[in-house]
Amino acid sequence: MTVSEAVLNYDLKRAVHTNRLKGLWRLMRGFRKLYIAATLSLGISAVAKTLTYLLLRYFVDDYLVAGSAALTLPAIALGFILLAGLEGGFSFLSGKLAAQTAEGITRRLRNYLFDHIQRLTFTYHSRMETGELIQRSTSDVDALRRFFADQAIGIGRIILLFVINFIALLQLNVKLALISVIVVPVIVGISLIFFRKISKAYEEYQTQDAVLSTTLQENLTGIRVVKAFARQEYEIGKFERDNWEKFLRGKKLLKMHSLFWPISDTICNLQILVGYLVGALMAINGEITVGTFLAYAGLIVWIIFPMRNLGRLIVQTSTGMVSYNRVMEIIKQDRESLETGKHRPKSDILGKIEFEQVGFAYDDGNVALEDITFKCEPGQVVALLGSTGSGKTTLVNLLPRFYEYTSGRILLDDIELKRYPRLFLRQQIGIVEQEPFLFSRTIRENITYGVGREVPQSEVEAAAKAAAIHDIILTFEKGYNTLVGEKGVTLSGGQKQRVAIARTLLKNPRILILDDSTSAVDTETEAEIREALQNLMKGRTTFIIAHRIQSIMDADLILVLDKGRIVQRGRHADLVRQDGIYRQIYEIQTRIDDELEKEIASVS
Amino acid sequence: MSVEYFEEEEFKTQFNGQTLRRILALTRPHWRWVVGFLVTIALVSSLDSIFTYLSKLIIDNGILAQNRSELYRLLIIYGSLGFVQASGVFGFIYLAGVLGERVRYDLRQKMFNHLQGLSLSYFSRTPVGWIMSRVTSDSERVADLVTWGLLDVTWGMMNIITAMGFMLFINWKLALIVLGILPILFYVAYEFRKRILGEFRNVRKVNSKITGAFNENITGVRVVKALCREDANLEEFKALTADMYRSSYRAAWLSALFLPSVQLVSAIALAAIVWYGGWQVQVGGMTVGGIQAFVSYVTFMMWPIQDLARVFAEMQHAIASGERIFSMIDAVPDVKDLPGAYDPGTIQGDIEFDNVTFYYDEGDKKPVLENFSLHVKRGETIALVGETGGGKTTIVNLICRFYEPKSGSIRIGGKDYREYSLHAIQSRIGMVLQTPHLFSGTIRENIRYGRLDATDEEIVEAAKLAGAHDFIIKLKKGYDEEVGEGGNLLSVGQKQLISLARAVLAKPEVFIMDEATSSVDTLTEALIQRGMEMMMKGRTSFVIAHRLSTIKRADRILVIEQGKIAEMGSHAELLRKRGKYYSLYTKQFRHQMEQDLDPFSQPEQLAAA
Repeated sequence: MTVSEAVLNYDLKRAVHTNRLKGLWRLMRGFRKLYIAATLSLGISAVAKTLTYLLLRYFVDDYLVAGSAALTLPAIALGFILLAGLEGGFSFLSGKLAAQTAEGITRRLRNYLFDHIQRLTFTYHSRMETGELIQRSTSDVDALRRFFADQAIGIGRIILLFVINFIALLQLNVKLALISVIVVPVIVGISLIFFRKISKAYEEYQTQDAVLSTTLQENLTGIRVVKAFARQEYEIGKFERDNWEKFLRGKKLLKMHSLFWPISDTICNLQILVGYLVGALMAINGEITVGTFLAYAGLIVWIIFPMRNLGRLIVQTSTGMVSYNRVMEIIKQDRESLETGKHRPKSDILGKIEFEQVGFAYDDGNVALEDITFKCEPGQVVALLGSTGSGKTTLVNLLPRFYEYTSGRILLDDIELKRYPRLFLRQQIGIVEQEPFLFSRTIRENITYGVGREVPQSEVEAAAKAAAIHDIILTFEKGYNTLVGEKGVTLSGGQKQRVAIARTLLKNPRILILDDSTSAVDTETEAEIREALQNLMKGRTTFIIAHRIQSIMDADLILVLDKGRIVQRGRHADLVRQDGIYRQIYEIQTRIDDELEKEIASVS
Repeated sequence: MSVEYFEEEEFKTQFNGQTLRRILALTRPHWRWVVGFLVTIALVSSLDSIFTYLSKLIIDNGILAQNRSELYRLLIIYGSLGFVQASGVFGFIYLAGVLGERVRYDLRQKMFNHLQGLSLSYFSRTPVGWIMSRVTSDSERVADLVTWGLLDVTWGMMNIITAMGFMLFINWKLALIVLGILPILFYVAYEFRKRILGEFRNVRKVNSKITGAFNENITGVRVVKALCREDANLEEFKALTADMYRSSYRAAWLSALFLPSVQLVSAIALAAIVWYGGWQVQVGGMTVGGIQAFVSYVTFMMWPIQDLARVFAEMQHAIASGERIFSMIDAVPDVKDLPGAYDPGTIQGDIEFDNVTFYYDEGDKKPVLENFSLHVKRGETIALVGETGGGKTTIVNLICRFYEPKSGSIRIGGKDYREYSLHAIQSRIGMVLQTPHLFSGTIRENIRYGRLDATDEEIVEAAKLAGAHDFIIKLKKGYDEEVGEGGNLLSVGQKQLISLARAVLAKPEVFIMDEATSSVDTLTEALIQRGMEMMMKGRTSFVIAHRLSTIKRADRILVIEQGKIAEMGSHAELLRKRGKYYSLYTKQFRHQMEQDLDPFSQPEQLAAA
């Protein structure tokens, strides 16, 4: 059975609820019928099991003892097989349906979370830690899966078993039935207490496990230090301490288990023994038949022993609840819409940009940009100069609407930026970062990432050549099919940047944002990157975040930013004539040359 | 031994008796525990069968015979045996469980200790992740086999044997029918288990892919948004979750089918018993209690069988884990003490490279160093400069004897350093790495790493000499401040200062420094420079240098290119030569000056971090 599109596309935001049980129930939307069917099957299976014992009673009483059974021996034998088939069949069905429910809900949740996270705003992403988001999307989702797969269904199973078998016992003999369940609350209570402790001990054990892993990892990554100081013995001692602590905690955990099971065994056995005694005496007195006693002896086991697991399931359920909250905290957040915006031109934009007294402040009121006004024509180059925190990055982040300006307005081709849908805007803008992020895919996939169409190899190679990375790619054994990252080659900062340039060339955007701080790149590759960038900038409106003057001398407009404001503007020729930061930077070059001269002169 | 090994999740081996024996031998030091849990589990297991037989007696001799005193007697036996069994349960859980933890502990310790002795070459070709999973998950799997696995097998076998014994005793013909069904049951159970296990492995594999997808999409969210990849990414991710759904659904489906199938087979056995038994009662060969006992024996027989099947299915993987562990334990260090290696008491003296050739891998086309000769006088400071990959780090690695020359030799104080013990050399070398590595713990502990018996005063002294003291005392807890995992609570500059203090404390006879390329603020830079200068005074020193001031200070500068000395001499000499050093120097000069003079550059503030 497959679930419909409507169920798969159900907006999980509607499953956000302050009552966690209600929320979990809403999370099951679309799968509830399956879940109910799974529970019903479980019930039928339990009934079949109970009937088996009743058939045994009939067999013993009417056939063996009285010899007056209406059913023949083969019929009874067949009855046992049928009941077993029924029990097995429905227990299978229940398992199958429960798996469909749990796995289906989880799949939908995973897909939703994945999509949701990539559509959340930048503000959210910069606020949240990556590790935290990943953990919620994986371990917490898995805890929810276990809730649906094991705990919800497991608790239902225990309760069903109890109810059905207890009803059967009542049918057999009320007195006997009542005597047999005295111990049930005790067992549930004990298992709750024990498992609460066990789960605490388990957590401690896991914590130590993490500590041990850290010790090991630090040793392995720092093996050069260990060897350089000849500290092997010391390291062995350190590991030994953590290792031993883990052993001790494991031992403590096991001690609890080794107490819980025999103690609960003994309690259950005592109850069963009492039941046997009372039942046997009643049988001897003729109050019940031998068959009834046999059926009773079988049924009681299914009432008492499963109860021991109830505590475990209940304790685990609370974990599921906590995870529900953690996951829903992400789902609660609002996405940024990619589609809203009325103005979507049929063709590409020209790239004329105007900032009119634009300001930007963060949610907490921190002002990052203020009174930014400038204008640039299509194909022009705007260079931004300023220290870290001066607002350069924030300014360019406004263009693809990563952030929304909070005052003033930005015009793109004479139309206010907010009227363009984000998707359209971002398709028109290309970004090359200083240390670009590459995905652990092949180099080819990284270059074509974001193009959204089949790209012929010749086109990929042309882009790579223009980005001055083609020759390097060819030196790898697998060429363009080389994996990037941990499992493949590690690219240097400059190489990554050139892959990103190739990626942007293929995307062919009208507006370009470049982060040109080449500080991470060694001097050899600087020239190549510069050339690649020149290729990229041709015919596009370009914003350069720059650190040094050589790269921006030809810019049509240079903006010097400080604390979110423009403090100097103009072309290179104008700016060098003014007093100010720009000239200071410019003069550094001449100063360096002078110093170098002096330096060399001093040795000869 | 690289990428393929890392992807070893699918690694399976044929049944290997030798490895299995070696795995079993892990319990030898604790054989008493093994005997203990085997005896207790055997006791528990046979008691299970006895209980069923007691129930038969209760029915036949108590209820049907209407004999009250016999009933009491039997119930008292039942009850007391119940206590015996409970203590048996306590015994086997405790013994097997604790032994399991102990074996894990032993294995981890053995592996870790062995790792400490392995050469750097082993670590450079084996990914950290690979080693980590050997020490963590493989050790668990192996320990589980020799404890819970062994226990389950014993329990299952014992259960089946005793149950069969009682059945044979009650009615041998009927017992033989059951015996005939056993292999079928086992076969069905084993086939199921194998498939279920396979699906679960698949689930784990897809699961790690899903985690990877989340990781990448979250860390790369900027690029995803900029390139409008949301829809394409979601499609790819949906394929993953569909895969996950299929595998985990199949695993659950198989598990759900498993018990009923086994149950059905035993129900057929049950029907046969009822049919045959019912007829026997009429003829007079069978009692009501006897039939009841048979029904119980057969119904419960599926538990030992499914346990046995599980253990056998898992054994294969545990053996594979064992093989990987043993392959690591059996790894031999490339560099180790030669017989008769001794500690000369000092390694001060000239260091000579005599025609040294070295390559990391047999398969390398070109050696990293080729016929390299160099004579360094005691107390001299050597600066190594040149392109990345030229061989600078290799020279340092050879001096530390992390690796040994493939041909030629290195002499310290006139003697081939292979005559000395590794410890003698390495404990007298102080090293500061390019990316300083600190260990979790306090600053004090990290500095003390340089000399373990140093007093607190000596640590402060070393920190002062290294220029680290001032920032340390500004921290809230001073020397007791935690540095975090890998030192990540400190800034790069702070880490460098602490690793310098660590080296200062070690009072090495030879000092090696791989200068950091990342820029730190001017104040920190000056502190590091001062610390280095102090370290180099009077010590034979090697510096892989990036800073101009360091280079200039060296007694001799070596320009290393393609495994050879391209130029050698003092700063002034080389500069006058206008060769490779000249161009390297001028380029570096510009670069550094630009950074130093840039009014926008805001390097990290030492005190602020």
